[in-house]
Amino acid sequence: MTEPMTGIGGSPARVGGLGRVTGAQLYLADLLLAGALHARLVTLDCARARIISVDAGEALRLPGVHLVMTADDLPQPVPRFGPQNADRPVLASGETKYHGEPVALVVADTREQAEAAARAVRVEHEELPAVFTVAQALAPDAPLVQDQALRGSDPRAGTNVLAEHRVGWGDPDLAAAGADLVIERRHTFPMVTHFAIETHACAAAPDGDGVAVWSTIQHPNWLQRIIAGLTGMPLSKVRVYAPDPGGGFGGKQHTKYEPAVVFAALRLGRPVRLVLTLEETFQAVRRASCEARVRTGFHADGRIAFQDIEADYLIGAYTDIADRVVGKGSYPAAGPYNVPAVRIVARSVLSHTVPSTAFRGFGNPQVNWAVESTLDEGADALGIDRLEIRLRNLAKRGDAFIPFDTPCDGDWEQTVRIAAERIGWGTPLAEGRGRGIALGIKSGPTTGLSYSIVRLLADGSVVVYAGTSDMGQGARTVFAQIAAQELGAPLDWVTVVMGDTAIVPYDQQTSASRSTVLMGNAVLLACRQIQDRLRAMAARLHDVDEAAVTVDRGLVRLPDGRELTVLEVLKPGLGKLGGELTGLGESRKDAEPGHPLGGAPAFFEFNCTAVEAEVDRETGDVTIVRHVTVSDVGKALNRLQVRMQDEGAAIQGLGHTLMEQYIYDDRGRVRNLGAIDYRIPTSMDLPLELVSEMVENGDGPGPYGSKGMSEGALLCVASAVGGAVREAIGVPIRDLPLTPERVWRAIQEAAAQDDNTAAGERGEETQR
Amino acid sequence: MHPFTYARPASLAEAVALLAERGPDARILAGGTDLVIRLRDGTVAPGVVVDVKRIPELAPGIRVEDGRLVIGATTVMTDIAAHPVIRHHAAALAEAAAVVGSVQIRNRATLAGNLCNASPAADTAPALLVHGAVLVVAGPGGMRRIDLDDFFVRSGVTTLARGELVTAVELPIPAERIASAHERRTRRRGHDLASVTLACGVDRSGVTRIGYGSVGPRPLLRLDESRTLADAGASADARAAIFETIFADASPSPRSMRAGPEYRLAMLRVLGRRALATSIARLEAEGVA
Amino acid sequence: MTDVLPIEVTVNGRRRTVSVAPHHTLLEVLRDDLALTGTKECCLVGECGACTVLMDGRAVDACLVLAVEADGTGILTVEGLARPDGMLSPLQAAFLEKGAVQCGFCTPGQLVAAHALLGEHPHPTRVEIEDGLAGNLCRCGCYQQIFEAVEAVAGTAEAPGGAVAPATAEADR
Repeated sequence: MTEPMTGIGGSPARVGGLGRVTGAQLYLADLLLAGALHARLVTLDCARARIISVDAGEALRLPGVHLVMTADDLPQPVPRFGPQNADRPVLASGETKYHGEPVALVVADTREQAEAAARAVRVEHEELPAVFTVAQALAPDAPLVQDQALRGSDPRAGTNVLAEHRVGWGDPDLAAAGADLVIERRHTFPMVTHFAIETHACAAAPDGDGVAVWSTIQHPNWLQRIIAGLTGMPLSKVRVYAPDPGGGFGGKQHTKYEPAVVFAALRLGRPVRLVLTLEETFQAVRRASCEARVRTGFHADGRIAFQDIEADYLIGAYTDIADRVVGKGSYPAAGPYNVPAVRIVARSVLSHTVPSTAFRGFGNPQVNWAVESTLDEGADALGIDRLEIRLRNLAKRGDAFIPFDTPCDGDWEQTVRIAAERIGWGTPLAEGRGRGIALGIKSGPTTGLSYSIVRLLADGSVVVYAGTSDMGQGARTVFAQIAAQELGAPLDWVTVVMGDTAIVPYDQQTSASRSTVLMGNAVLLACRQIQDRLRAMAARLHDVDEAAVTVDRGLVRLPDGRELTVLEVLKPGLGKLGGELTGLGESRKDAEPGHPLGGAPAFFEFNCTAVEAEVDRETGDVTIVRHVTVSDVGKALNRLQVRMQDEGAAIQGLGHTLMEQYIYDDRGRVRNLGAIDYRIPTSMDLPLELVSEMVENGDGPGPYGSKGMSEGALLCVASAVGGAVREAIGVPIRDLPLTPERVWRAIQEAAAQDDNTAAGERGEETQR
Repeated sequence: MHPFTYARPASLAEAVALLAERGPDARILAGGTDLVIRLRDGTVAPGVVVDVKRIPELAPGIRVEDGRLVIGATTVMTDIAAHPVIRHHAAALAEAAAVVGSVQIRNRATLAGNLCNASPAADTAPALLVHGAVLVVAGPGGMRRIDLDDFFVRSGVTTLARGELVTAVELPIPAERIASAHERRTRRRGHDLASVTLACGVDRSGVTRIGYGSVGPRPLLRLDESRTLADAGASADARAAIFETIFADASPSPRSMRAGPEYRLAMLRVLGRRALATSIARLEAEGVA
Repeated sequence: MTDVLPIEVTVNGRRRTVSVAPHHTLLEVLRDDLALTGTKECCLVGECGACTVLMDGRAVDACLVLAVEADGTGILTVEGLARPDGMLSPLQAAFLEKGAVQCGFCTPGQLVAAHALLGEHPHPTRVEIEDGLAGNLCRCGCYQQIFEAVEAVAGTAEAPGGAVAPATAEADR
């Protein structure tokens, strides 16, 4: 059902869409920053190196160059920062730890002059032994990635294991003894990068006795806190402007080079802007790769007896938010199933590579690939249909499938059955084709704090302040819809203000698909406060009891049944002096000490993806004939945006499934930086048919029963496609991406084995 | 990008003189889709960039002249892919031109540029080899013609002498039309650099021509004069044997990021079979009409 | 060595004279010298299409065109799609209506490429649309919606004054 004016449940046009189609939208690189100088990074052509000396002489003599800044020019000891551990130096200090770590920041009048100067900086350095894979990082004599002083009293300090996360219940070993089938498989998930079309960028300028910072950041308040901490300024003197990012997907959540630019700007007393190239962006952010060993036990009837999961995530040289990704991502690794015995051990393994960070899915896709694929192989071994085995084990609403935690909060079976029906599960398959079906689950936010201020102006128009970052997911639109709904304003009379910490109240972050729920609720609560004031106004004006006045969908109802519009109360209520009504909403989810994640998930994102694929056995090409994705969203506040998010997530998932991976050389340098050799899906790489559906049972904690969404449709893409390919070629492939060459090779190896087996059998027969 | 001087000669003589004078310090700018990338990443740093797009003799255009198809050097891929005469006489070339890159690239990339860069993966090269392309070259010593098969030396190196530039690409229009087809292997369906690129042409004489690239330092042309490949009665094994000799000189780089050597060699055979089947079908189709 | 050359280029219908260095690209000149920041910079190797503009009616990647090469040509950027009076073109309106815009960073390039496609193929098949837009990457994955927007417009004649919706002044903050 669609609400007419505000379109809650409909598909009103994107707020902020106009500027995007006219080119008027100003992204960070477009902003006119008067007098801004240009910065460039100086990096080395190797991964790990000891910095012996930095010679900026020639660079400083070039025209237009103002500054060549290294770690030595910063306050000493070199300031470090990071959302989890303050381990990342503002500029490389003593040593670079990954290919692309900045050694210096060059500032000049023009971009070209800064580029020339960056090329002219001579860094004398000595390449050092380094680790780039899990095996290398865990080897007994492996060079250690982190400075030991930073590890403190961590018992793992002498290793490259930053942290280990253990989750479990029941006794998997006991369960193994009673299982009818136990299988163990190893799967790998590649290193991939976000590749938002807008590269990372930031700028800083002295601002009175404070500093102004512009950034493509998804978490402006977090950045503000870090800059304040590094500069010693109070929060109130650090103003962060966060224009809508041109795509983020998690890669723009956390501070990277802003501190360096801030120090440069303060030192020069001038604005400084840094816009990364695409290659530099690939060297700044990525998803953690993962090697997972999964041992699953089954009963003969398909019930899962236990899950024993070990996942080593290869994170980069600095923690960033990577360890949280590992902990949170692996937590529901046993899947949306009722499993009596579970052991999950997930490790964050440091390496001399690009620091991994948040990326849509947040650690879940990696283990999903391993666990769902293993489930498929178990089903086949037992002779049970892969859809059936999932339904047999699937948690039902209210099931504490993770003991003592948020129970199953949806009708997940409904989602699965819709997907199965849309893919035609069980119907005859053409030659050379296969089908896969997989389930994805992700924990929503575990803690949270969002404030919103809403102002109802004298003419009935509305201003909403919400610190969420709208990087395309449409947050701005959803908040406008909520305010329009609650205050009876037409949608295009609502202005949403975001991205300025001096004006917009605190928002913890934009991540975890949290914003519709957490910030949405804050907007809703702010509107409710205004509604309270309207009720008081109406009571005063009409001399009735305030408690008997109601406000609903922009209509004020008096005890005698009369209905007035908001404006009919507001105008006389404000009187000659005019004015406005303001509401403040706080949406808070407090931490739960003792919970492994810091708090129970506010909701789960649940998705079922089903895929039919055709494989060209001669070339290994995989064509997705049909891709069905169904998500449980609670309530779609904006149907079009929900569909776009799900389809977008599905396509992004096809990237790491079929074509994306970093290629490192043996010296730890990334070989495929940039768009020519790092391939993401184009318009020609879509499934022949992409179908998205949503399940709406109004059972979410967000406004109008909504849940968070936008990551679900990515979680299990690889697993579904892998299952389809496996059926099509009769061979499991346990590594991603499923490039034509990899698929071809699997077919060749299987054929060779068959030949060997046949030859062996013939040999035996001959011998007999 | 390093600064350079920009020259836009209005005549062929002017261009030749400038190129002869500056030698390796000059770079020819046609479509720019390769050169500008190299200028930006610093792999080339010429003192002068010579824009040849306003030289009348190199003007874009496709015409038939004296039994030859003449393609102006600055003709862009979009126009080659769409031209009815090329689609009729050299289908493989039209097909290759259509996949050289995105439409934005094809609207700029020129045929001559694609050849003069001498990338082993140039998609138009196999088709042009199959159709016996000849390059018309102007230089300090006057005009000359170079068979395309004599043009490529290795990656980035051609037999052009100092001061020379290609003014046109000519394809003979043989009495016996060559029915051809182009195939390539990429990492995704969207536009991509080829990890194997191949063209096949057959004519009524039964001779099969196969051009292939991206599996060695330069694109190669091989012929099957035994007429086995085009023989409907030939066995799969007999054909496979011929393919082995045709692909014997393929030497794909073991260090390529795009695909491993074993896969590329296997795909040569797969693409060869497919392009052959398509060429034969095209040859037979015209007979039916 | 840094000679500066004057070029004359018609941008969005307006004749402009700019002095450019030979090594500056059309993209740089559009954004930095002409303050037309609608055309975006991303990969700088002609793969992503974020810098797509029309040059004499053909879609090209502005990052691979030297500004000097544009001398005497006509350039259309995203800023030139709307009518002089500010009304959105049918394509722009369709993009909004079909939800073909998420983060919006690839949108200018998509619009210009789609505009060129429709110029060549007024009734494109789905395959022609895919091919025509294959040089425009969208990481948000809006492809389906973009196709739908193009299909919605296909065949709709852009009669003079047959504009769709007013383009109001500034972009949202």
